[in-house]
Amino acid sequence: MIAGMDVIAEHDRMKDVAHPLRIAGISRPADVTFSFAGTSLSAPEGENLAAALIACGIRRLGEGQDAARPRAALCMMGVCQQCLLRVDGRLVQACLVPVRAGMVVTAT
Amino acid sequence: MSYDIAVLGGGPAGMAAATEAAQRGARVVLLEESAAPGGQVYRAPPSGFIGPVDADRRAGDALRAALLASGAELRTGCRVWGVGGGPLVPQREPAAPFRLDALDSDGRSFAMEARALVLCCGTHERIIAFPGWTLPGVLGLAAATILLKAHGVLPGRRVVVAGAGPLLYAVAAKLLKAGAEVAAVVDLAHRTEWLRALPRLAARPDLLAQGLAWRATLVARGVRVIAGAGVTAARGDEVLQAVQVEGAWIACDALCIGHGLVPATEATRTFRAAHRYAPAEGGWVPVLDADQRCSVPLLYTAGDGAGVRGAAAAPASGRVAALAALHDLGLLPDHAAARVAPARDLARAAKAGGAMARMMALRPALVRAIPPETIVCRCEGVTRAEIEAACADGAADMNQMKQFTRCGMGPCQGRICGETAAELVGMHCGGREKAGFATGRLPLRPVPMDALLGEFDYADIPVPKPAPI
Repeated sequence: MIAGMDVIAEHDRMKDVAHPLRIAGISRPADVTFSFAGTSLSAPEGENLAAALIACGIRRLGEGQDAARPRAALCMMGVCQQCLLRVDGRLVQACLVPVRAGMVVTAT
Repeated sequence: MSYDIAVLGGGPAGMAAATEAAQRGARVVLLEESAAPGGQVYRAPPSGFIGPVDADRRAGDALRAALLASGAELRTGCRVWGVGGGPLVPQREPAAPFRLDALDSDGRSFAMEARALVLCCGTHERIIAFPGWTLPGVLGLAAATILLKAHGVLPGRRVVVAGAGPLLYAVAAKLLKAGAEVAAVVDLAHRTEWLRALPRLAARPDLLAQGLAWRATLVARGVRVIAGAGVTAARGDEVLQAVQVEGAWIACDALCIGHGLVPATEATRTFRAAHRYAPAEGGWVPVLDADQRCSVPLLYTAGDGAGVRGAAAAPASGRVAALAALHDLGLLPDHAAARVAPARDLARAAKAGGAMARMMALRPALVRAIPPETIVCRCEGVTRAEIEAACADGAADMNQMKQFTRCGMGPCQGRICGETAAELVGMHCGGREKAGFATGRLPLRPVPMDALLGEFDYADIPVPKPAPI
């Protein structure tokens, strides 16, 4: 617990499945499954990969060269290169590629 | 492939420039990195996603429809990494066309030539470093806008929104509407700054009304707005859990933070065009004439990449640039008459956009407050202390500091750290103008080596026969 915090986070809200992170009122294509770091996930086909991972509660996309610089989506527009991942072996920026059925996503 | 005009970047400026030029009969190509044209403000949702239609969506759809009807060739999903030809031809032949090298969405390389080049490369977000800013869960304000509006995903369930400019209130209102909790809005600007901007905003009553509606939403939902303050630290185990504001910690699972917008000038810097430092326009901007011409012949820039004026001003500047290019190529008989309407639209839209851009100008106090051990360049892991040590050792401008420390040499090529680093160098060498900017270098974007090599393999390297001994 951090001293002086006004509200104590009693649990990790990102894993709170009762309140989905995908915004209601948007019609989306059917879900497809893909894998991230060996875990099977599902997301609407064509959803942006960085957005899909955030919606699945995954924000730490990999470890950087030291503990202070983990991989995470920062700019969402292809500039910062912090969301670099491998999709089926190819190095990509997660914020620029869509989710496809069966894609195998791994950390760099 | 050879064109009269190539337009680089498919945001509102690029779409309008390509449309204007193609409608007037020029052979035009538009190159865009995303899967669809639109840019950041008018970004189209992925195909098959149907959400509510707002004013931005309508404006973007209108620009897209006009572009598709104009006859301009559209290349989306392509990464332009090389610019050359034109003034970069060593012999300086006046007729040398520009050359663009790019990768398509499948990673295959292609090249094209054009007699004139219109750069509409937009902006990226300025995020001044603070302790903990590298934690997952910290993302840009513009990033949050894209996540919310184009992808329909919340960045977190309990979010702090911080920084400067109108995006703060746009993001906070959108988060509330989409069902997230906004723990606090932390605005660097005092109330008086907003009041000073009001007269200029009056030129755009629609924007003013939108801004007031955002503020009303926050008040109605009882969101805490902390004015004249900033986030001084973020912390968490593995991911973000809390941010510090005025000494107190606020629990959150996402922080959307932005300190303004910076024009993307990598292409004009690579062409060695003249630039000037204009903080109220976002930083270093190319020197332009009244028709968006750069100091390099047949090179033009429009939209926020030419100086931040906002999405509303961008299409007009794109049209002005396209008309100048057509005129300079001898393809437009009556330039003077054609430019009147877009030039007038540009002047009007730029007035309100300029007032917002001034609020988003870099705030040097933020940089002065960065603790020494804070990472500034997250690609290469360079801290404020290391940058200042390089300056103390004699690095007198951005290029020298970069060579001393590797700050700005990572995959983002200095786009994220550049503003913080330049301000730090400027504090030691006598200001931002003296600190200058990192020389533009190819590739414009990171590009995989195998994409450049193609089929070329080790066995293809010609090895001369050894000389007889």
